[in-house]
Amino acid sequence: MLFNSLDFAVFLPMVFILHWLVSKKGCRYQNLILVVASYVFYGWWDWRFLLLIVFSTIVDYSVGLSLSKEDHVKKRKALLLTSVFVNLGLLGFFKYYNFFIDNYTTVFSFFGSKIQPNSLEIILPVGISFYTFQTLSYTIDVYRRKLEPTKDFIAFSVFVSFFPQLVAGPIERATQLLPQFYKKRSFNYNQAKEGLYLIIWGLFKKMVIADTCAKYANDIFSKYESMNSLSLLLGAIYFAFQIYGDFSGYSDIAIGTSRLFGVDLMKNFKYPYFSRDIAEFWRRWHISLSTWFRDYLYIPLGGSKGTRWMNLRNVFIIFLVSGFWHGANWTFIVWGGLNAIYFMPLLLANKNRRHLNDVALERIFPSFREFMAMLSTFLLTTLSWVFFRSNTVNEAFMYLKRLFSFNFNGGMQYLAIERYAPELMILIICFLFVEWHSRTKEHPFFDKLRYFKLMLILLGIITLGNYSSVNDFIYFQF
Amino acid sequence: MKTVILFMVLLYVCDVAYTSIYLKSNPRNKLQYILNTKNENFDIVFLGSSRVANHIDTKLFDSLSNKKTINLGVQGAGLNDNLLQLRLLIESNNVYNVFLQLDDNFERTGPTALGTAAAMPFIRNNVIKEHTKEYFENFNALYYIPFYRYAINDPKIGFREVFFSLMGKKPRIDPSVGYNPKFGNDLSQKGKLPKTISRVNSILDEIRRICKEGNINLILFVSPYSSATGNMDYIEKLKYKIPELIDLSKGYDDELFFNYGHLNNKGGQLFTKRLYYSTLKKI
Repeated sequence: MLFNSLDFAVFLPMVFILHWLVSKKGCRYQNLILVVASYVFYGWWDWRFLLLIVFSTIVDYSVGLSLSKEDHVKKRKALLLTSVFVNLGLLGFFKYYNFFIDNYTTVFSFFGSKIQPNSLEIILPVGISFYTFQTLSYTIDVYRRKLEPTKDFIAFSVFVSFFPQLVAGPIERATQLLPQFYKKRSFNYNQAKEGLYLIIWGLFKKMVIADTCAKYANDIFSKYESMNSLSLLLGAIYFAFQIYGDFSGYSDIAIGTSRLFGVDLMKNFKYPYFSRDIAEFWRRWHISLSTWFRDYLYIPLGGSKGTRWMNLRNVFIIFLVSGFWHGANWTFIVWGGLNAIYFMPLLLANKNRRHLNDVALERIFPSFREFMAMLSTFLLTTLSWVFFRSNTVNEAFMYLKRLFSFNFNGGMQYLAIERYAPELMILIICFLFVEWHSRTKEHPFFDKLRYFKLMLILLGIITLGNYSSVNDFIYFQF
Repeated sequence: MKTVILFMVLLYVCDVAYTSIYLKSNPRNKLQYILNTKNENFDIVFLGSSRVANHIDTKLFDSLSNKKTINLGVQGAGLNDNLLQLRLLIESNNVYNVFLQLDDNFERTGPTALGTAAAMPFIRNNVIKEHTKEYFENFNALYYIPFYRYAINDPKIGFREVFFSLMGKKPRIDPSVGYNPKFGNDLSQKGKLPKTISRVNSILDEIRRICKEGNINLILFVSPYSSATGNMDYIEKLKYKIPELIDLSKGYDDELFFNYGHLNNKGGQLFTKRLYYSTLKKI
């Protein structure tokens, strides 16, 4: 079920009413409603994959309970490894099986051996990368004795399958989310109102910004061989806004929807395109995944401790794994590697933590230096998105080669045809202005003008939203 | 709750605003043009898809036949959309000859989004209302939910189009003429006609019935295809099923095509002449 679909517009109010109708009976009933709703929400795509979620839930619940009863170090480790193997095994099979088989075949063919590839027609279950990482965080935290294992199976089931964030995050930590399902939730009008504002802002980002940019980005990327440099630059910029609007829009809707049920989720985006360097960008983009890798991979590897060489190695590992997490394609690995390369100079100069605050605090405009820093970070990020968006690494290189050929024949070639492009550029500039104005807040509806802004944004959704071609959220494929 | 009410009010206000603009603006498409015509005599009306819009040079046909001609071909339109155009046209005008282009559109009876989107602002018009009720599964939503009809047809009648209508921007193609010539020649993309043919087409039967009742001379024809089109024997099957069909699908050099199924301007003019001489005795 898509957040921007009619099905969800019917589904959400129904679950909302049911959830608060049973609130007097206690949190167990509320949780039960949420589990059923989450399974319906997920099963809407393909009910068969519900079995995977249920299986993962049972395994990690049992491992958690067993860990609480076990003090023997080796046995505890074995239990943890069971959970890791089951979760990563499922992820590996559904997401990476064909990738490894294809590459294995290619390598052997290169050396002259003929191997009959055994590729399978595997459908990737929606959101598997997200809920797998979420449940893993539970067993790892229980193993580390940071969290008491839960004995409440229903609460644990909601934690694994909570529908607002089930298919594309934010990837929650058990320590933060699970305790919220232990206690009865009372309806809080202000919390629900803030949730609704976030949903509206998220819908605007998705339906107006992302889906409109998608039309252009798709068109330009599919015809890149006949596009000039300016058009290719625009294509990359449109994709940068498409993926930002799409993913941060989804996160806002997820966080907003959760608040309607009295549940707080972690922030996933903090205006990343206003970052002054790549390190700051990664503190503001897909925060739940970055912090997951930081806590469960980077720190166990040694983090920033040890020699400079080890620091560099750890950073490279994190970025490469993060790229591979996104998809079974070399394009994502190169994308991760490229970001690691961007990060290197900051790490070597010890400047990776110099921008921890918001840019231009208590000022209306940034300084020239800040502006140039933001612009250069945005352009670097946009270049790396070319790999993320392309079908193959070769295609990405060809795209960039044409982009840097500085061929401006035909000027704004793509914009010359009678389409929405000029309006889209105006729209993006207005969007950036609104984001800049509200960069220290969660959404733009915070000051005296909030009702006026709300009306404008609703008008924008109604008149500029894309309804005829409803697009899946990009991160559903991961 | 306030936000939800505000949203509903905005939906209603936008619906009223869009509809008013479309009702009061100058026609920017062929359907709007039809709705604006009253008591006119059309000697020859061409109906079909882009294979009519790109192929029939209206002014050329007009000068050859010395009869008032209009090209109502619409990109992406199907027979159902042509039926609506015909119903609207005869509602307040006189029509004497209808040239209807047939090809694989014979396989479809439903309305197309591209063909009928332009009619949605005028859904309160009786002819459009009845047609929509008859053929659209989502009639109730289109008719009763404010703004729904604009939202689901946003590429055709959404914000951009309403803005241009409000500004009075002239359309690229004059709807009162209707010829949309294509330039260039690219047959890299291949096309395919269906392998099998349907038994009947209820929409074609309805068009025939209307023409018969209104004493309108109906001429059915097939426009040319290039060598990049597969399953051309489909046209033979169609001809077998409809013996009066004028089959002009073959006999054109590939250089006269814009793409596999559409002639370029040069091809369009040659075809217009050929069609005129092929039907000279019928009109």
